[in-house]
Amino acid sequence: MRAYFIILISFFVYSGNANALVIGSDLNEVTIGANFSGQDVLVFGAFYSDPSMPRDAKGDVIIEVKGPSQVLQVRKKRSFFGFWLNSSEVTFKEVPGFYYLTSTGEINDDILANNNITLLTKQATQKIEWGKTRLPKERHDFLSALKRNKNNLGLFEINDKDNQVNIIDGNLFKTNIPIPNTVPIGDYKVSVYLLINSELKEDYSYEFKVKRVGIESVIYNLATIYPLIYGLMTVALACLLGWVSAEMFRRLRKA
Amino acid sequence: MNIYLPIAELSVNIFIILSLGGAVGFLSGLLGLGGGFLMTPLLMFIGIPPAVAVATSANQIVAASVSGALAHWRQGLVDIKMGMYLLLGGLFGSFTGIWIFKLLAKAGQIETFLAIVYFILLFSIGTLMLIESSQVIRDRIRKKTVKRKLHYHNWAHRLPFKTKFYSSNLYISIIPPIIIGYFIGVLSATMGIGGSFILIPAMIYFLGMPTSKVIGTSLFQIIFITAFVTLLHATSTYAVDAVLAFVLILSSVIGAQLGVLFTNKFRGEELRALLAIIVLAVAIKIATDLLIQPDDLYSLSVIKRLY
Repeated sequence: MRAYFIILISFFVYSGNANALVIGSDLNEVTIGANFSGQDVLVFGAFYSDPSMPRDAKGDVIIEVKGPSQVLQVRKKRSFFGFWLNSSEVTFKEVPGFYYLTSTGEINDDILANNNITLLTKQATQKIEWGKTRLPKERHDFLSALKRNKNNLGLFEINDKDNQVNIIDGNLFKTNIPIPNTVPIGDYKVSVYLLINSELKEDYSYEFKVKRVGIESVIYNLATIYPLIYGLMTVALACLLGWVSAEMFRRLRKA
Repeated sequence: MNIYLPIAELSVNIFIILSLGGAVGFLSGLLGLGGGFLMTPLLMFIGIPPAVAVATSANQIVAASVSGALAHWRQGLVDIKMGMYLLLGGLFGSFTGIWIFKLLAKAGQIETFLAIVYFILLFSIGTLMLIESSQVIRDRIRKKTVKRKLHYHNWAHRLPFKTKFYSSNLYISIIPPIIIGYFIGVLSATMGIGGSFILIPAMIYFLGMPTSKVIGTSLFQIIFITAFVTLLHATSTYAVDAVLAFVLILSSVIGAQLGVLFTNKFRGEELRALLAIIVLAVAIKIATDLLIQPDDLYSLSVIKRLY
């Protein structure tokens, strides 16, 4: 029942090079309403090249989706006299609220790292506040805990196994980006890279928005911009509902 | 069917929320208790963040106590003067409570704190209720009638600043009601409860109020305390979820009315024994969550969004 309004983003035609990308998506907005329970966003495109060329020569496509930046804290529990309590914490000052990476084939980690295609970019890694966590092993554990916990929430996924990005008739590719119901609102950046012989040859990006609509957006804005008015309204609503229900049931019982 | 909670920022199955609100409402109608002390931990069990559970629970109690207080009001069973002194202490108490809440949330210890205080609270209430109700059941079987004192004279009658509470027929110091109110205010703001299960015995045993006026007066002051706590949470933790509150209120008022219909069908002490078992089960679940090593020692929390 989803309306497919196709936006053809752009054409890249290299002079003298057969490889180029064309990409598009079915949505430029994901709207969170009262019954939002997650959604798939379709990203598709084409290698703009000679169809008779072998697949390998066209290289791999990497699709990276990054959500709005957040400040996150990871806390580690320790046993105090049998009770499991939070003890140490690490603050990540800049983490994408959502991160999804997929490709036509498995990509070497070094290539991704060298091109800064990762959850925590070099700049973000420098901004981590490690607190009392000093040992490299401990720091590594915190990083994997961050990824594991975000993965459990559906907010971090690296999906580079074969066939995640479907190739249709040699030149077209498409993939679905699963947006979970825990997704943060804001601007999302989709970057598509073309990798040939371990070299990034081409990249293209576009943005889509995740936003609240309807009553959800009214409530959220009121609660954050005018918290006192919002508080008074929730109290008034509670009083009203309490009074109406008492009256209603009193009359029902009399009748 | 899922419903998206705009403040909790997650979607939950609406039927889970409806049955939770309905069940807690049913128990509160059946037993004449607020039910906040079950609502908040149960909301946290289903994955609602602690701040949202506490703040939204307070908002739900506003509705429940308005509904309950009206009936007592009509019969003139509210001691307004006593309510006002309790309220005075309660307002200061809720400021302290919010301050404690924010401090612990910042230190990352709010979940542990809530787990510990809820365990202590539920375990002691459950145990006391179980002992009390089983004694009554035993006495009934032995056909013994227990004589109760009508009036208690204790230290509360010897403090300064005495005043007359005509409605309750009391001449006591205003200090005990203010201190009791303060304590309830702290509990209300940190735990998202009305506190009637502490307030009612305190009013009977410490203040010596007549039992007929106790419930109405406690409901009267709980309306204002929980309303104030809702406002404080809305403006400082931003955690009151209006959608969650709305669904909880609707289901709990209906549940409460059904509960009232069933009160004559059961004996009070048997109901209290049943509730004691439920309360103890929740307490044990909270304790095991604290004592058993968690699957993942690490946990994640969003501090701030940057957009």
